[in-house]
Amino acid sequence: MTIADETFFAWLDGELPPVEAAAVEAEVARSPELTLAAQEHRAMQARLKAAFDTVADPPVAQRLPAAEVIDFADAQRRRESRRWGSPVQWAAIAATLVLGVLTGSLISPLRSGPVDVRDGKLYAAADLNDALNNELASAPAAGASVRIGITFRDQSGAICRTFTNAKSSGLACRDGARWQLRGLFGAPEGQKSAYRMAAGADPNLAALVDSTMAGNPLDAAEERTAKARRWR
Amino acid sequence: MDPSSFEHQLGILLPRLRRFAHALSRDAADADDLTQATLERALRSKAQWQPGTRLDSWAYRIMRNLWIDTARSRSRKAKLEALPEEAAMVGTDPRGAMDAAIDLRRMMAAMQQLPEEQREVVALILIEGFGYREVCEMLDLPMGTVSSRLVRGRTRLLAMVGEQ
Repeated sequence: MTIADETFFAWLDGELPPVEAAAVEAEVARSPELTLAAQEHRAMQARLKAAFDTVADPPVAQRLPAAEVIDFADAQRRRESRRWGSPVQWAAIAATLVLGVLTGSLISPLRSGPVDVRDGKLYAAADLNDALNNELASAPAAGASVRIGITFRDQSGAICRTFTNAKSSGLACRDGARWQLRGLFGAPEGQKSAYRMAAGADPNLAALVDSTMAGNPLDAAEERTAKARRWR
Repeated sequence: MDPSSFEHQLGILLPRLRRFAHALSRDAADADDLTQATLERALRSKAQWQPGTRLDSWAYRIMRNLWIDTARSRSRKAKLEALPEEAAMVGTDPRGAMDAAIDLRRMMAAMQQLPEEQREVVALILIEGFGYREVCEMLDLPMGTVSSRLVRGRTRLLAMVGEQ
């Protein structure tokens, strides 16, 4: 090459000032060797970028095409809230939140509402906590804001319960005397039936339940017994 | 969540951070561990970020430093184990239209063949789209060093994966 490698690539990357860039461009145009090198390197970069771009779409978003993950406190604060503007935005947040919930290590800014943060873990609070403690799927309380779906034990033996309210559904498992949230999924806009549908009917929640559950769900009698034992 | 909040902005950066992690790491599991560790570190270090400065450069730098801390110590051993498979994979003819997702494995393997200091520069400039000067600032390196590492790294990459 008649041009220094550094200069050639700086030109290729658009890093040269205009006058210098024009000089290099002319030189490249005169040289079949440089023209080929420019083509090869452009193609290589495009291929590199395309390959790595596949992981920039979070898999969470790919698995949740029709749902959004929300946080209760936020939903409460803006009951009539706007929607997230762009799918990319909520996908990113969904990925963050789900990642955090799964590992229990995301320090969330939530401070009030039905979700409480302790030691970086998300726990049920207020109405949600009450419902998880007291409600029976076999005998739902009239007018309850939170509906319990299924109750089961996870691989560690902890009791887990799915729940649904007007805006979201999720899974909480017993952690000591509290209910730790393992996942929280928002219902797609306008899908009022989310409230009524059997917990677990949300495909994302169903998948989470599937990967969490050991054995079969508790039946009505077992659910009552588990409640009497304070979900231990 | 407040759209201007630190947490929200970090959430938006997450896909890009994940991509950078894949460019640095040997496999997807390591990349996801690195992404998670970076998020945790960033959230814990929130007070150290100065509003008004670029959050992306700050977060990328955290990831890069974490990667150096954790990955370097084990990379020597891992590299020895990984060589035969990677060597077999790099340079195989793609044959026809290649799906980008499949190509990712090949590209990750090729990136792993680069010395670390070339790999990070290639990742930041060619994949993440940072300018030379931004990378100099992020890595605390002079321009000459960044551009010569970039030349060597991309030239080697092309030799490994260049299309016929």
